[in-house]
Amino acid sequence: MMADAILRASGVYAGYGRGDIIHGVSVEARPGEIVTVIGPNGAGKSTLIKTIAGLLSPRLGTVAIGDEEIGGLPAPAVARRGIAFVPQEANVFRQLTVAENLEMGAWTDQDRKDERLDKVHALFPVLAERRHVRAGNLSGGQRQMVAFGMAMMVEPRVLLLDEPSAGLSPTMVEQMFEIVKGVNQTGVAVLMVEQNAIQALKISRRGYVMAAGKVALEDAADNLLQNKEISELYLGSRV
Amino acid sequence: MSWQILVNGLVNAALIAPPAIALSLIFGVMRFPNFAIGGYITVGAFFAYAVNVDLGAPIWLAAIAAMIGTAVVVWLSDALVFRPMQGRGPVTLLVLSIALTLILEHIVRLFYGADVRGFDLPLQRPYRFGDIRITQEQIEIIVLAIAIAAITHLILQYTRTGKAVRATADNPMLAQVRGIDTGWIILLTWLYCGMLFGLTGVLAGLDLVIEPLVGWYLTIPIFAAAILGGIGSPYGAMLGALLVGLAEELTVLILPSTYKIGVGFVIIAILLLVRPQGLLGRPEIKK
Repeated sequence: MMADAILRASGVYAGYGRGDIIHGVSVEARPGEIVTVIGPNGAGKSTLIKTIAGLLSPRLGTVAIGDEEIGGLPAPAVARRGIAFVPQEANVFRQLTVAENLEMGAWTDQDRKDERLDKVHALFPVLAERRHVRAGNLSGGQRQMVAFGMAMMVEPRVLLLDEPSAGLSPTMVEQMFEIVKGVNQTGVAVLMVEQNAIQALKISRRGYVMAAGKVALEDAADNLLQNKEISELYLGSRV
Repeated sequence: MSWQILVNGLVNAALIAPPAIALSLIFGVMRFPNFAIGGYITVGAFFAYAVNVDLGAPIWLAAIAAMIGTAVVVWLSDALVFRPMQGRGPVTLLVLSIALTLILEHIVRLFYGADVRGFDLPLQRPYRFGDIRITQEQIEIIVLAIAIAAITHLILQYTRTGKAVRATADNPMLAQVRGIDTGWIILLTWLYCGMLFGLTGVLAGLDLVIEPLVGWYLTIPIFAAAILGGIGSPYGAMLGALLVGLAEELTVLILPSTYKIGVGFVIIAILLLVRPQGLLGRPEIKK
């Protein structure tokens, strides 16, 4: 089972220089599945995802995509290996047009750029309409589409999402998760970190619950949704 | 009389536009105001002087040599001075850049002293259009400035690398996440801007004089132009250069020309009070 993982972080310790924020975290994503990491603010979810994306170096532990160790590689090198990270904030180039943003998305893989652009436009028709508008002038929801579209301009092996629903209206949140599902159905493994735990778990196969920089629990998403203790601790406020 | 002032203003603008564009580009990717530009320009002027006068090569060859030589100096200054200190904050880098400009200026003095020099060029009569006089060199300066503005525009808007420069200036973290090697993009920006500073040294030597302080004289108008346009915005820098260039000459109508050097300061002071983001700049977004 373990050998199947396309992305695996094992025993990762990482932080911002003044001591670790995550302590020995292990998560994995298998081909074709959606995995969600939930947990309260400050549990270390963002630190984990930034470490996988190459923005932080693990002090200890390993991160591997397939059989290749990528822990400690700089972010551009991680991107070239097929990990597409969509940050939570500041996830578009505000001064660049929508079309230019998507072009930057295809930076590591220029082949079949037009074909992928068509796919992204099919997924988000509004981006085709507004392709000459600066991304900074778009609404929050449309900016999120640009951020997502950029990640889809390569054929990622794993999509990493940091709070994809943050700052979106309830209808947009629903749409967002539909989009994540749609992308996943094209065969891309998704690892996301979410506050919006119930909706995220509903589309996920498995989930991790993080607390105080550690993985407190790992289970099938359905089980987590039915777990009384979890729903009281982490899911309650969002029902 | 007044048309002559306009022409002088345009030449002045053409002289400060390329380095103002370069200053803005560097600010965009490095996020600190680089006062070493004066040193770079002086170095460029003397590279050209060495090749033109000491070696006897034609001025166009000297200009190319100056652009390459200055780009190398600019690259070395990044590798040896700025890069090791990156992450220490913009004020540290700013103070370092002031020190660097003094060091470059004095290295030049070591070889050439403080004398005022000129290129070895045949004297030419200025062209006359009615009352207006303009020299061959001044026409060349204007043509080159327009060409540089156009080339910079084409690179930034239509090439992959140019777009990556804008992306890196906009959001360096996101650029890295999308796979852009921002270190390489910053290096290319330094080299391109180094060539512009070198060329500015040559043009300043043609229009003004060659001396160790030539870059320093231009530093304030260049900063005024870049800040006026909105620092970090190369298009703003073009507009800013035009306005500062004209303003400097127009003050000659009402004030003795010794006050010309003060115009840049006044423009900077007014802008920082009224519109700190500049004409085409965007306010900093604070979270």
